[in-house]
Amino acid sequence: MNVKVFQFNGCNKCFHETILLKQNDMEVELISNPKDWKGEKIDVAVVSGYLLPEDKEILLNIQSNANKLIAYGDCTTTGGIFGLANQKGANITPISKIIPESFKINGCLAEIEELTATIKGGEVDKPPSLCKVCKRRSTCEYLDEVHRQIDIFENEEACFNDLGFLCNGYIATECKERCVDYGTQCRGCKPIIDRSGVRMLGMFGTLMGNVEVATEASKYGATDKLADKDDDMTESLPDIVGNFFRFSLPTSGLPKGRIHSKGSILENVFTGRLIEEFPLITGLLGGDNSISMTLSIIEAYEKGAEIEVNEQTKQYRQKLRSLEKELKNAIDAQDAEKYKDVTEKIRKIAGNMNLSNVFYGGFKTPIDGADNFDDYKAEPFEIKEGTYKNGIVEFSIDSKGVIKEIKIKEGA
Amino acid sequence: MSSCDINECEGKYDNIVVFMCNECGQGSANTAGVGRMPYDPSVRIVRVQCTGQIGPIQIMDALNNGADAVSCVGCCIGACHFFNGNLLSMRRIKLMKKMFKELGYSDQFINQYTSRAAEGETAVGDFEDIVERLCTAITEGGTFENEC
Repeated sequence: MNVKVFQFNGCNKCFHETILLKQNDMEVELISNPKDWKGEKIDVAVVSGYLLPEDKEILLNIQSNANKLIAYGDCTTTGGIFGLANQKGANITPISKIIPESFKINGCLAEIEELTATIKGGEVDKPPSLCKVCKRRSTCEYLDEVHRQIDIFENEEACFNDLGFLCNGYIATECKERCVDYGTQCRGCKPIIDRSGVRMLGMFGTLMGNVEVATEASKYGATDKLADKDDDMTESLPDIVGNFFRFSLPTSGLPKGRIHSKGSILENVFTGRLIEEFPLITGLLGGDNSISMTLSIIEAYEKGAEIEVNEQTKQYRQKLRSLEKELKNAIDAQDAEKYKDVTEKIRKIAGNMNLSNVFYGGFKTPIDGADNFDDYKAEPFEIKEGTYKNGIVEFSIDSKGVIKEIKIKEGA
Repeated sequence: MSSCDINECEGKYDNIVVFMCNECGQGSANTAGVGRMPYDPSVRIVRVQCTGQIGPIQIMDALNNGADAVSCVGCCIGACHFFNGNLLSMRRIKLMKKMFKELGYSDQFINQYTSRAAEGETAVGDFEDIVERLCTAITEGGTFENEC
């Protein structure tokens, strides 16, 4: 079967994941610059990367030449994490607005097994809800307060949401990355329902039933109404757009944001996000540089905020960096076997390809039973206002831990 | 801030959706009707069993289908006929207000109020407040469609 994979804009992790299709006796060609593609008849076209309105012509050309068009990964199907730039006026478009009748495979990183099944045309089983396979159990009791960081080993049975640790697992299906297994909340990259972010907002608002909400007297009629001032509700969730609409802002039915653009698309995505979500976001969108980008951001903050890092952590980080180089070599050589081998090694240390296990001061869950986990365990840290710099990145956070400004040098 | 004042927002809105609960909210609107109290003709009342039924999905549906402002009117705090529905929807609306602020819009076009079934002026007072806030949102250029 003749398969061509087209990479549009942004992160190329899903694009490189399709190298694994070569293991299935398919004739696969990866096209990293679809603008230069001349056009020929193909069986299956796979599209990855985020789309802009100006990509419409190229996409229609691909569609007219292909028997089947598959959108692979959240960036293409829903706008994905780059869709957060729409908060600052960008125009990232989900594929359904350009070609409504395409096949869609959600996920960040999208699963290669699902793509293989869709290409072959077989029935794809609908995966169960994430909560069904999660080892934690939810009671949906009202929360007294919301925590932005918790010690995940204190209670290993209760649902993150019951502990006041916002997890979007309610609206997600089971996936291969399984961030929840590595002490990181689900952010709903594989939604089980449409307008997932809006629904999760309603759900979490209900769960916050015992958190104090400010009311004031109405000047007409002497009854109460919702007050404008900040209260525990708004203080405890400083970044609603980034946490509830991480992958679905362009498809959620919300209007396009009117916040002034900060510059490049990456800067727009990062500004306004929270410091504790920062490593995961860079892990999600860094493409083949995600490991070095995530680690340099973590190290910048560790250095500035004086978070101790021990030798074992440094060793593991060094190993991750060398694995990133190996991964690049495997991609250059288009070697499916080697690619699989290296990604498995990365998954073993970092948890998954989104690096959920990597955090400030260490790792969230044990990597190898042979070491002493207490040595490299990541602890909840205190947020320290300031400007942090390391190599290609420079960012400043305010007292609540919201990223105010970020500069990423080009070519990173 | 633009130069226009609140009086200029007249005629810029014609749909204000107000979800009123079947108990105190609708009761006070009925009392207002019996008392022949006038209120803004743009107000469209949607009767719901309890404001606890209203969440982000319903509010976004209303806004995306042409509502200029959306509000909930429920029972007084502590007097919900279904335990705590009014308090729950207040929390959801508070989160939505924060979300609109993060997106660069005004948070004045959605809100939640309470009223008393025996006093029609509480409902009419809430409607007046909704209109006043919508005008603030329009003059600040922060609603979905309208701006000065």
